Amino acid sequence: METISSFLTQDHRACDEEFASMENEVASENWEEANTKLIKFSNDLLHHFDMEEKVMFSAFESKTGMTQGPTAMMRMEHEQMRGLLEDLKNDVNSTDKNHFFGVSESLMMLMQQHNMKEEQMLYAMADAHLGDAVSDVVENMKAI
Amino acid sequence: MFNQGLSLDQAPPISVPFRFFLSAPIFGVLLGLLFLFSSPLEITNQYSPLAIGAVHLFTLGILSMIIFGAMQQMMPVLAGAVIKKPLLFGNIVHSSLVLGTLGFTLSFIFDIKMFLHIGVLFLSISFLVFFTLCIKLLFKVEFLTSTVKAMRLFSISGLITFILGLILAFFHISSSMPDNYYSFVNSHILFALFGFTLLLIMGVSFQVIPMFYVSKDFPKFVQNKLPLIVFSLLFITAFFFFFEINIFILKLIFAGMFLSFSYFGLNSLNNRRRPVFDVTLWYWKLSLFMLSFSMVLWLFDIFESNFILAIIFGFGFVYSLLQGMVYKIIPFLAWFHLSSKGYFSLPTIREFIEEKKIKYHFFIHLSSVVFFIIGYFINIFLYLGAIAFIISNILFFINCLIGIKKYAKIAKTDPMDMTAFK
Repeated sequence: METISSFLTQDHRACDEEFASMENEVASENWEEANTKLIKFSNDLLHHFDMEEKVMFSAFESKTGMTQGPTAMMRMEHEQMRGLLEDLKNDVNSTDKNHFFGVSESLMMLMQQHNMKEEQMLYAMADAHLGDAVSDVVENMKAI
Repeated sequence: MFNQGLSLDQAPPISVPFRFFLSAPIFGVLLGLLFLFSSPLEITNQYSPLAIGAVHLFTLGILSMIIFGAMQQMMPVLAGAVIKKPLLFGNIVHSSLVLGTLGFTLSFIFDIKMFLHIGVLFLSISFLVFFTLCIKLLFKVEFLTSTVKAMRLFSISGLITFILGLILAFFHISSSMPDNYYSFVNSHILFALFGFTLLLIMGVSFQVIPMFYVSKDFPKFVQNKLPLIVFSLLFITAFFFFFEINIFILKLIFAGMFLSFSYFGLNSLNNRRRPVFDVTLWYWKLSLFMLSFSMVLWLFDIFESNFILAIIFGFGFVYSLLQGMVYKIIPFLAWFHLSSKGYFSLPTIREFIEEKKIKYHFFIHLSSVVFFIIGYFINIFLYLGAIAFIISNILFFINCLIGIKKYAKIAKTDPMDMTAFK
């Protein structure tokens, strides 16, 4: 059975791949293609946040009553990442490779420590707490 | 308990890991000075008191210092294991480790037994406080990953290393060495290097290499079985030491496992998906290459003395990796803490410590390792190695301090003030 953990972890990896493709284009200074990849990465990442915030976090919060716990912290880090996405867009528009890689490194580090916390704690907690509702939650996330 | 680790409020204050990281290069400078003012004959003889002092300046003052600092930061993130009073815990572990290391090493270097009592007392406080809490927290973690499992084995190995060290210290204090003294020494070294050090490095690498460089995972067998096999072999090897059984076959297995860890690590780094140049890659690659090299030297006892092996394993493998990790951790923590406090316009992670300065440090560090190796054959190079090692540690200290000062300068300003960090 597909779990919240396996589904969202796989989506993290897919976003990582998109992230690396985007960086590859910037490294070769193919700015037009870089912009396309950035849009793709940005859409995928924001879609991932939507699946979590609108479906999984809500289900978790209703089940556990924990609205100021781990999900609140994850939402805050999502906001930090949204801010960095905007910085990346500005750097691609101004073809500022140097600053782009500074920001992308910040985003990468933030994303990875965020993913670690989700994959190793929050998703496992969600699978454990949501029990029978897990498959519905996964289906609802896919529907977004 | 696992939800606690997700909150920044539960992470230790940034000053906790920073004080551990800044202390390590200071001990590095002391170690360099020891090399500079010692006779080559004494410092290259692993059983001389001077060499014992030198080895512990490294293993306690540098290796344990960085590991203890990093673990306090990593446990909440990687394992969800939160230390309740992080500042108090950090203060006790850090100050007792500093005093203990100084007392212990000075007692061997200057042959003053009183210092050994002080050293043992403070090291006992530091290690017991640290490992008791680590073991308690890590064994409460409900959702186990390969990293958490390796961290558990690391903490048990660390505690055993400490207990064996304590027994050895009492032999020295009472000036009575039993017949099996060297079995204790060898077991202590074994648990320190392969348990305390390598188990943690492996566990963290399984997470960090694929994640930060977007590269291939280590094979499942390596992640899940290797640490456990290494841990079991430690006990079997210690048993062999005490019963004076030849350990060549065990050496073969150890070396095979560490070489395969090194191979998969290098393979993962070389096939990473991220194109961006990152100077910490040099540290990782040098480190894993040196680990492989040291295993070959150890397996075939290529040199009569263990001096070259110690340099390659200690400075080449361990210290290179630790420095690379610290250069990743300090800018990230600085950026993350500021960003979480609401500072909108921040320097990027790469701007906290200038890459050019890290590169200079890397080359000086590498040359110190090379000079030390040549120094075994041509003694004058030992002094060059010592000078390079001192400069390398000063650069490491300055680079870390620059990153920390940038953080402190911004942290003093109003988060809404956009001009403060220009």
